[in-house]
Amino acid sequence: MKKTIQIPLGSQHISLLEPIRFKFECENEKIVGVDADVGFVHRGVELACTRDFEFKQVGYVVARVCGLCAITHSLSYTLGAEKLLGFEANGRIKYLRMLMVELDRIHSHMLCLAHTAENAGFEALFMQIMADRELVMDIQEAISGNRIQFDYIAIGGVNRDLTPELEALVHKNLEELSGRISKLRELFEGNWSLSLRYKGTGAITLDQAYAYNALGPLARAAGLATDVRVESGDFPYEAVGYEMILESGGDIHARNILRLREIVNSISMCRNIAANLPEGEILEKTKGKPKGEAVVRVEAPRGELFYLVRGNGTNTLERVRIKTPTFSGIPAMMEIFKGSQYADAPAILASFDPCMSCTAK
Amino acid sequence: MTKIETTLPTLLDDLGRFYDPKAWHFLTVNGVDLGSGTIELQWIFSKYGAKDEVVIYYALSDYDTPVPSVVPLIPSAFLGEREIVDMFGLSVEGAARGLYLDEDSRPHPLRRES
Repeated sequence: MKKTIQIPLGSQHISLLEPIRFKFECENEKIVGVDADVGFVHRGVELACTRDFEFKQVGYVVARVCGLCAITHSLSYTLGAEKLLGFEANGRIKYLRMLMVELDRIHSHMLCLAHTAENAGFEALFMQIMADRELVMDIQEAISGNRIQFDYIAIGGVNRDLTPELEALVHKNLEELSGRISKLRELFEGNWSLSLRYKGTGAITLDQAYAYNALGPLARAAGLATDVRVESGDFPYEAVGYEMILESGGDIHARNILRLREIVNSISMCRNIAANLPEGEILEKTKGKPKGEAVVRVEAPRGELFYLVRGNGTNTLERVRIKTPTFSGIPAMMEIFKGSQYADAPAILASFDPCMSCTAK
Repeated sequence: MTKIETTLPTLLDDLGRFYDPKAWHFLTVNGVDLGSGTIELQWIFSKYGAKDEVVIYYALSDYDTPVPSVVPLIPSAFLGEREIVDMFGLSVEGAARGLYLDEDSRPHPLRRES
């Protein structure tokens, strides 16, 4: 048996955006075993939802689980509460919610791409992508009133409408962003450091993706055709031009290209939504108090976000279960590390786009 | 959503007959404290490519009965099992406390008695 050494990565490390600790078992530079500690930022959100807040407030509490995908958290909970209240949103509300979720996906994917570039030594490209990302952040801020904590979704609808001026802003900024994404794709595909450096690195096979229940971009980059946007009937994604994007390489390069292609599709969907917004109220009254059990799945930028909401007919819920994409992705991530070089670990981790704030909730 | 009742002694057999990793995506393990010392444990799945097809296997248990681990069938279940150990103070084979909680944290915060 070869001698192994243990090398930690985290909980504080220059390549990490949030605290997570990996303990790598290495044979020379090769990782042969992995242990992960993911709970550094646990805040007891599930308990708070059932002890400290009434069901009408919980949507704003769960938005604090994560800064990046606040919109999908509040949307998932709200859909669960609405199911228990027997409420179904009208077409305009569904379209406005879809618009915000897809804008969220664009800026989240861009953040991941920026960090992937940074891990290849491309500091200037990191800054460039973050600057381009402002085009989406500006739209989200103009629509919701906030850049990060979008308290936009409410039980019964959304809190702000899309005015003609905002619709024009959506088209203007997304058209500009389209051109910049095309240039980014040329860079990620053609630049030696970005493409060859990441081809074959941090790869997951299709069989591993099935076995370890990979999800979101991690799964689709390995060819696993799964996306809650087509596996849930809550939103009319087919009507706004949704297209399942798949890659087959399963490596960092495939994940980068997949995210770029998904951004292109999301831009197209956002423009379709803005141009074809149905008529209707943006906030409707709901009656009663949640009773029973409902499950909701929403495709967050990192994959499937799952909520289970259980009420007993009072203002206080019995259970709010939050299962985040990164939480489900960690077992697959740990498998990918095995056999990789230790020096590649930060880049592989960045390509997972992990969210520890979500995971520990 | 379809709920199927099982029991802890028959859990592995029931899931072994049901779970095909290429047909079903394992979501998570969940617990709901029903009060009076009873917990509803849930193992949740969704079907690849199907609209809104979610299956929940559930079993009723108390705080003290050991819960069998489903990791031999579903390798990715280990994190969810560690979570219910922390949150409900249950005993699951091979799942250590401490995923989220520290030694001096409030024990089993999602129990109703907490």
